[in-house]
Amino acid sequence: MVDCCAEKTYAETTIADLVSRASVSRTTFYKLFSDKRDCFDAAVTRCIERLAATLAQAADGCDSPAEATRRATVAGLELLAAEPALALVLSGDVVGVDPRRVDRYGELAIPAVEALWVRAGEQPRKHSSPGLAFGRAQLLVFHEVAAGRADHLPELVPDIVYLATAPFAGHEEGLRQARLAAESTADAAGPGRAPEAAVGATAAGVSS
Amino acid sequence: MTAPAPPRLPRGRHGLSRADVASSQRERLVEATARVTAERGYEATTVADILTASGVGRESFYEIFSDRRDCVLAAHQTLLDDLIAKVAAAYAGDGDWVERCRATLAVLLEWFAADPDAGRFLLVEVAAVGPEFHSRFEAGFDRFVAIIDSGLPADLPDPGPLPTTNLAVGAAISRVYVEVAAGRSEDLPRLLPQLTYEVLVPFLGEDAAREAAFAAL
Repeated sequence: MVDCCAEKTYAETTIADLVSRASVSRTTFYKLFSDKRDCFDAAVTRCIERLAATLAQAADGCDSPAEATRRATVAGLELLAAEPALALVLSGDVVGVDPRRVDRYGELAIPAVEALWVRAGEQPRKHSSPGLAFGRAQLLVFHEVAAGRADHLPELVPDIVYLATAPFAGHEEGLRQARLAAESTADAAGPGRAPEAAVGATAAGVSS
Repeated sequence: MTAPAPPRLPRGRHGLSRADVASSQRERLVEATARVTAERGYEATTVADILTASGVGRESFYEIFSDRRDCVLAAHQTLLDDLIAKVAAAYAGDGDWVERCRATLAVLLEWFAADPDAGRFLLVEVAAVGPEFHSRFEAGFDRFVAIIDSGLPADLPDPGPLPTTNLAVGAAISRVYVEVAAGRSEDLPRLLPQLTYEVLVPFLGEDAAREAAFAAL
């Protein structure tokens, strides 16, 4: 389903496409799912689980909640950049199928970030609205993905890191983490960040 | 709609040129498309619905637009141009930068509150036309960013790696989107102080933003 949506959008994907891609029979499909939408919902849930697992793994073992937020953000954007099909389903097609679904992302992500602070024994201060910051972050990511530039998502790292940390840690700390993130991604990419690497990642994501 | 529906032309001989008639019909179609699509959703809206709501005949419709999608995109463009013109005028108004930001946000919130159907159409329903919507949305977003950038004061703190205007416009749009999608467009103007604060934080930091946003209250 994820591959089909990435190739031809949810609207144009047929059950025939799905069963042929997955090499299962139509009967098996209908044993598992009631219809195309049901299958899509299951695909979205799996995409969310993958993203959440990546974020949780990156946040694990960090010294401070701000660092955990930063590392999780970077890892999340790198996953979506490496697998544009995942990004397309989570942003473009979800909006097309049911715009209200994206509200649920915030309901999942914001308490998770907040929990990082609570676990560290720090009360999140809510300097600004996390919901609003999340909405902004989502918008930025959706734009890149919709424009077919999922491989450029790592360029958004400073912005998204700021948006994820500033509501809880304040503007100054958000800015500090954004700078750290900008430096670390620049280091990781090396001088003259090779565009071939990004293209390679795109191809790998689609074929997987 | 933000403007009252344009009056229908009198039947029979009215002494108007063909171009005048087409322009009036186009306006009516655009107005009706936004209203009907916001009410029923894009998928459920048919050309027949638009014709009934606008009072324009099928033949005239197809002289102006190639299909429903074409008409929907034209309506989207018309509404967006109207909103952007009003926002730009407010931002170019009197007062210091913070006051102009507040005035700009006030105009934005009032535009969506004054006509919930138009707002719902602009932000939520048009997404159903597919990828074309995203490029239109992005182009509109960039126009807002360009307007705000054109009037930034020189003495703002250095934002480092942050695209502050982008974040500010994103803050405003995402808040409006959430409220419009939840059917709370009419209450938007009440969010002005809070949203002013949120928009100013990336530019000024919390303390200065709080002072600026809530000073007038």
